[in-house]
Amino acid sequence: MIKNHWIKTALAASLVTASVAASADSIKIGMTQPLTGAVAASGTYVANGAKLAVEQINAKGGVLGQQIELILEDNKSNPREAVNSVEKLVLRDKVPVIIGAWSSTFTLAIMPKIEEYGVPLIVETSSSSKITTQGNAWVFRISPTSEMEAIAFAKKLKTFDPPIKQVDFLSVNNDWGLGAANEFKKIFADNGIKVNQIETVAPDATDLSAQLAAVKGSGSDTLIVTSGVEQLTLAIRQAAEQRLPQRIITTGGSFPEQLIANPGPKGYTSTHLLFFSPWTPEAAINPVVAKNYMDGWKEKDYPFPGLTEGFRGYDAVLTAVEAIKLAGKAEPEAIKEALWKTAVNGVNGDIAFIKSGPAGKESGQNVPNIYVVQLKDGVVSSAE
Amino acid sequence: MDQFLQHFVNAMIMGSTYALLGIGLTLVFGIMRVVNFSHGELYALGAYTAYGFVALLELNYFNTLFMAIVVGFLAGWLIEFVLLRRCKLEQIDEVMLLMIGVMIVMQNTQLWVWGGVAKVVQTPFAQEPLVFGAVSVSPTRVFVFFAAMFLLTLFYFLIEKSRLGMAMRATFQDKDAAQIVGVNVKRIYTVTFALGSSMAAVTGALLAPVFLVAPTMGDLASLKAFAIVILGGLGNLVGAAMGGFVLAMLEEFGAGYISTAYRDAFGFLVILVVLLFRPQGMFASKERVG
Amino acid sequence: MLRTIVFILTCVLLALVPVIYPDPYTLSVVGVAGIMIIAAMSLNLLLGFTGQLSLGHVAFFGIGAYASALTSLGFDVYLGFGQTLVVTPKPVWVAFVIGIIAAAASGWLIGRLSFKVRGAYFVIVTICFAQVMRLVSLNWVDLTEGPMALSAIAPLTFWSPTDGIVNITSKTGIYWLVLSVGIVCYVIIAGFVYSRVGRAAVALRENETLARSIGIRVTHYLVLTTLISAGMAGAAGALYAHTVRIIDPDVFLFIYTITMVIMVIAGGKGTLAGPVIGGMIFGLMPEMLRGVVAPEVQWILYGALMIVILLFLPKGIVPAFTLILQRLSKGLKANQSKQPTEIISTKTLVGTKP
Repeated sequence: MIKNHWIKTALAASLVTASVAASADSIKIGMTQPLTGAVAASGTYVANGAKLAVEQINAKGGVLGQQIELILEDNKSNPREAVNSVEKLVLRDKVPVIIGAWSSTFTLAIMPKIEEYGVPLIVETSSSSKITTQGNAWVFRISPTSEMEAIAFAKKLKTFDPPIKQVDFLSVNNDWGLGAANEFKKIFADNGIKVNQIETVAPDATDLSAQLAAVKGSGSDTLIVTSGVEQLTLAIRQAAEQRLPQRIITTGGSFPEQLIANPGPKGYTSTHLLFFSPWTPEAAINPVVAKNYMDGWKEKDYPFPGLTEGFRGYDAVLTAVEAIKLAGKAEPEAIKEALWKTAVNGVNGDIAFIKSGPAGKESGQNVPNIYVVQLKDGVVSSAE
Repeated sequence: MDQFLQHFVNAMIMGSTYALLGIGLTLVFGIMRVVNFSHGELYALGAYTAYGFVALLELNYFNTLFMAIVVGFLAGWLIEFVLLRRCKLEQIDEVMLLMIGVMIVMQNTQLWVWGGVAKVVQTPFAQEPLVFGAVSVSPTRVFVFFAAMFLLTLFYFLIEKSRLGMAMRATFQDKDAAQIVGVNVKRIYTVTFALGSSMAAVTGALLAPVFLVAPTMGDLASLKAFAIVILGGLGNLVGAAMGGFVLAMLEEFGAGYISTAYRDAFGFLVILVVLLFRPQGMFASKERVG
Repeated sequence: MLRTIVFILTCVLLALVPVIYPDPYTLSVVGVAGIMIIAAMSLNLLLGFTGQLSLGHVAFFGIGAYASALTSLGFDVYLGFGQTLVVTPKPVWVAFVIGIIAAAASGWLIGRLSFKVRGAYFVIVTICFAQVMRLVSLNWVDLTEGPMALSAIAPLTFWSPTDGIVNITSKTGIYWLVLSVGIVCYVIIAGFVYSRVGRAAVALRENETLARSIGIRVTHYLVLTTLISAGMAGAAGALYAHTVRIIDPDVFLFIYTITMVIMVIAGGKGTLAGPVIGGMIFGLMPEMLRGVVAPEVQWILYGALMIVILLFLPKGIVPAFTLILQRLSKGLKANQSKQPTEIISTKTLVGTKP
């Protein structure tokens, strides 16, 4: 037991020195993303986008005369680890603003802590409507809700040939997948489209053949798939293997980039709803910003299809930095107030927050743009 | 009902790979009485070997399979030679924990080297599925089946017809008697472990283009291997082969007709049910397990 | 006597840590490490004292966590045939106890079922049990929220004469809570180990056939030990649920069992202090190594350390350390005595006085 006491003293001493060393002259932005685990591909892209933005801004002098330090924590594709990562960012690194946490489930998990510690959260990817309607005044979302996505998709329904008459769903069984299925279901009902099968899949499953076999004979002409990059790739491949008659449309903004290098069967087409399409940069609302982003990404040799998600981290950092500038200081409360006044030209479009949720405790919500692309034989083209 | 045939075909294909995986594990248990918890990591090693050679070095896929066998063999050799030899194999608990230690080191090394993002291995076959009536299979999976059956046959001849196989069987039956008649038991142990590891590795390489290659893929493989081995009886080679097919059938039909979500659970349920009611396995004669 | 004094002194010192060094982040890290230590101590009871390698121990931890969390949140479960079981939210300490009971009950079940099989078979059954629990909690979304995680779990409460019922949410409060539960568990284990039941359990570890032959009801004692061990793991799980206040199916992952196993093995299985020391080292190492090496490399080091300890220091750190202490204080004379007297209990209890 004596040894135990010395360990504690040593630990205490080392932590004191560590914290003294860390409080150098920099403004910190915290970020929690899934860098390992079931959705690591997307999380890594978003993190890379953020790192790129920080580098570019630092090269131009940083903000408020100081350099920006991005403190990135891995939430391991797990809601409990997400909470853990936020505790680290707030208690250990004392960040004044946090970006995160990719999946709606992880974001919902950390929202109570955000409120408890009073640190503003910029939500860059999550789409569940619950996030901005719970009355958490510290939440500011730049990504669209599933509802917005569904509404935007409804506007493009006429462009599909053969027309969409009956649909099946294949969704990852978490807040995001289930929420998306719900919203799209409503839109389809409003447009007279029949919903047949709704299949769910665990976030880390690799064999989707059972679910695909279940929808194979449903009579639908379309299968809506909502999941991360890894499962989209598996779903499309395995659907082709099983010769599913449905055309596949993916939602959520992820792109199965492995299918460019390793395409499916000849002539096989899949359609994808994205929030940034690097294959059609001319359609971007802010071409200068988009170009900066794409050029910087290319310079760092990051994989090209990652641009479809990296912009989320990029735009989130731009937003955070603008808010810090407006606030005049790197303090949570000030940044929160400043976010309401923030207007930024982002890669996805113009970012600004409108009130959402119960009166007096609104969260901020942005209204972003949606792009539709088609993937065939390893080539991507616009589907609008 | 038309789905029945499709499920059957899927199950046969997965079953052949499961059989390979299971035999590797049961071989090691049968001859050395070692419960190899790192078996799944050798599977993952084979898959990453496939990724490394195909995607990075752009080697031919078939040569890569051969490389996976070699890499698996060497890894198994190393583990046995450096670590297992130092242990008294009778102390089952220590050995099991040692293998768990190996598993941790291997899995995290793979995570460190390759990163946490899942990788895709390009298949050399066309993507168009082959169609036979109501059943469609991708050419990749057809190849996997035939490759696995080929390796199983090869293994059969090794065990039954070769001198090495005879020595292994002798050690399996009674290691002291085998030693008396001149079998170098230590060397047999090393070869056995290496062989079992190479079988896991080649299974990983075969399945790499079918699924994804991720650092944690070994966990599920390990647990399924255990299910197969328990089903067949620990140490029972024929049992493991049959167990592989039985598990695949259970998973495929269970997922198809009972619940898609619980697919991977059937393996565990199998283990629990078999161990509680017929612990010596479906295909073995009675053996003391308690 | 000396043993008791050291113990009390250590408890007091540990209790003073938040006063000396009140940094909330450190306290939260140590708090979580403390919960893992309690789980490790419970595993040690099974692994170290009865010699049963149970690798599904995290199942009891998770069951305790979920049972306690669900009871405090209230739940309804559809039982089929139009019947729904509705449970209203219960006070948090009631939920805590229910968590312990649920874990102990599953321990009893596993004990009764698995002790028909031993050795490798037992190990495999225990692993599978944990995996099945994970899959059930992942897929029974109506009850457990599956991957969406059970959140907004109530914190444990403390009654103080001045403020009445207070929620334990501060890092300092959590630290003291975990410390108290830890001390209670330690005392229970010590009491168990030195009692008749404990001696019977150790007898069966040393030589099961012999123990059976002199009339010790082996299965009975194994089940009893498993029950206590599971209940304690459940307590750790429930504690975790009410301090972290979010639980998801990944709490059943094999890696947490491995963590507990490493703590016990490295510290010294079969010793009282072993899991505590092992837990301190492995619970705090991630923080100490942060920035120095990547997390994957840390785990490579843990695995390697475990292998090294298994091969070269099979008894663990605590016994080895004690032996060194003895050698230093007694010089070469220590070589002759096979059983040195100890400050910390390290040896097996067969044939020694309590």
